[in-house]
Amino acid sequence: MNTFFQLFVSGLATGSIYALAAIGFTLLWQASQTINFAQGEFIMLPAFFVLAGTQFLGLSFPVAMAIAVVLSLLLLGLGFKRIIIDPLLPHGVLPIVIATIALGILMKEGVKQFYTAEALPFPALFSDRTLNVLGAAISVQDIAVLLIALGAVALLQLFLNGTKIGRCMQATAQNPNVAEILGVPVRRMILYTFLINAGLAFLASVLISPIYLAKFSNGETLGLIAFIAAIVGGFNQIRGALAGGLLLGVIDNLSAAYVSASYRSAVPLILLIIIILVRPQGLLGKAEGRTV
Amino acid sequence: MLELKQVYGGYGKMTILNGTSFKIDKGTITTVIGPNGAGKSTVFKAIFGLLKIRSGNVILNGEDVTSLPPAKMLGKGVTYVPQGRNLFPMLSVRHNLEIGGISSGDQAKIAKRIDEVMEQFPILKEKAKEQAITLSGGQQKQLEIARALLLDPSLILIDEPSIGLSPQMINETFRTLIRLRDQGVTILMVEQNAKAALAMSDFGLVLEQGRSRMYDRADKLLADPRVGQLFLGAHLEEA
Repeated sequence: MNTFFQLFVSGLATGSIYALAAIGFTLLWQASQTINFAQGEFIMLPAFFVLAGTQFLGLSFPVAMAIAVVLSLLLLGLGFKRIIIDPLLPHGVLPIVIATIALGILMKEGVKQFYTAEALPFPALFSDRTLNVLGAAISVQDIAVLLIALGAVALLQLFLNGTKIGRCMQATAQNPNVAEILGVPVRRMILYTFLINAGLAFLASVLISPIYLAKFSNGETLGLIAFIAAIVGGFNQIRGALAGGLLLGVIDNLSAAYVSASYRSAVPLILLIIIILVRPQGLLGKAEGRTV
Repeated sequence: MLELKQVYGGYGKMTILNGTSFKIDKGTITTVIGPNGAGKSTVFKAIFGLLKIRSGNVILNGEDVTSLPPAKMLGKGVTYVPQGRNLFPMLSVRHNLEIGGISSGDQAKIAKRIDEVMEQFPILKEKAKEQAITLSGGQQKQLEIARALLLDPSLILIDEPSIGLSPQMINETFRTLIRLRDQGVTILMVEQNAKAALAMSDFGLVLEQGRSRMYDRADKLLADPRVGQLFLGAHLEEA
C-alpha cells in the first residue's frame, strides 16, 4: 500500500507537468485552431536556454532562468505566432500541423547538432529529501512539482475567469468574429494565449528537466503524452487537459510498476484508443458541432 | 443619420454590392428586405467595416466613415448584431454584457451601464450569473440586443433578429426594438420575415442584386404588389 501511494504521488507530480503541456495544447487550439506538434520540443528547449546561460555565458542560475523565461516568451510565444502561425492560419489546420512537426524536428536536431546529444544534468530546484507521509516515502521534489504545477493552473484559471483580459481571451476563443465586432482586440488576445503557452512550456521544462535530465529527445515523449492527455481529458477544456495529464502520469507510473516496464509506453496509447472509441470528446470535454 | 452613396463591394472577385445607395433618418426603424443573395447582410458588414468597400461612401451624421474598422465604428455610436447566435456560450450573462462594453475607455461607466441595461431586461438580471448557453433562444437574442446597448449606440444594425425564435419571442424582440426606437435609437434591420418586420417598421428598403430598388414608408411597401412579386422570384423593373 505504501509503495502504491508513493507511486501514485510521484505519478501525480509527473502528470502535473504533462498537464501544463496539455493545457498549452488546448489553449492554442481554442484561441487559434492551432495544434502545435512541436509542443514537446517547446518543453525541451527552455532547459537548454538555462544551461547555455550558465555554461557558456557564466551566468548565475537565477539570472539564466530569468533570461530563459524572456527568450521562451519571445521565441516560443511571439516568434512562433508571428513567423509560423500567422502566415499559415488562413490556409487551415493541415499546413500548421505539417509546419509544427517540421519545427519540432528542427528544434530537436538543432539542439543535438549545435549543443549536445548527451543528457545533461539540470540543477535541482528542490531538496532531494523524502518525507514520510502515511508510512510512504514521498520525495519533497514530487510534492513541490505537484504544488507548483497545480498552482500555475489555478492561477491561469483565476486569470482567465477573474480578469477582463482573461474573459476577453475566452470570448476570442469561443467566438472570434463576434469578439471582433464588439471591439475585443482579437489579435492581441491570441498573442497572449501564445505567450501563456510559452510560459507554461518554460515552467514544465524547468520542473521536468531535473527529473529526466535535459536531452534533445525529451520532447518526443513529452509531446506525445501531453497530446494524448489533452485528447483524453477533452481538447476543448483546460480542466480536461489537467485531468488528462494527471491521469496519464499516474497510469504511466502504476503500469510501469504493476504491469510491465517494457509496455509502459503502450498504456497511454491504449487509453487513447479507448477514449476515442467510447467518448471522443474526452472525459471532461464537450462535443463540438461541425458544419459539413 | 446614415447615408450610403454608390457603395460597391464583395468577397474576393465576387461583387455583391452594386452601387448600393440609401439614406435613413434618426430615430426610425428601417427594414431591409430582398431575395436571397441581394446583399442584405453584406451591406451591414460594409457599413460596420467588416467588408472592404471598393468604391462609394458611408456617411454617418455628416461624417465620412467609409471602411472604418469595427472598433472605430463602435466609437461612432454604431453597434452590429449579426445573424445567428452571437454569444460567448461559456461566459455568464453579466460577462457577456461586459464584453459588449470592452471598447469603452470608461469601464466604471460600463459597470453602471450594465446595471441600467439589466433593469430594462429583467430576465437577464435574474440570470446574470448563469452561463449564456443556459438561456432560451429568445433570451439569448435579448442578451445580444442588451449587449449592443452597452455603449449607448445611436444606430443599431441588426441582422435577422427573428431567426430561430418562436412567434412569441419574435413579437417580444420586435417590441424591444420599438421601445429602443422610441428612446431615440435608430435601427436598421435585415429581416427575412418581411411582412412582420415591415409591419413594425417606419421605413422599408428593398435590395435586389446589391442595388437599392425601392425605399418608402413601410406601410406603403407592405401594400405594394411589386414587393410580393419580388419574393416570389420576379425581378423589379428598372426605375
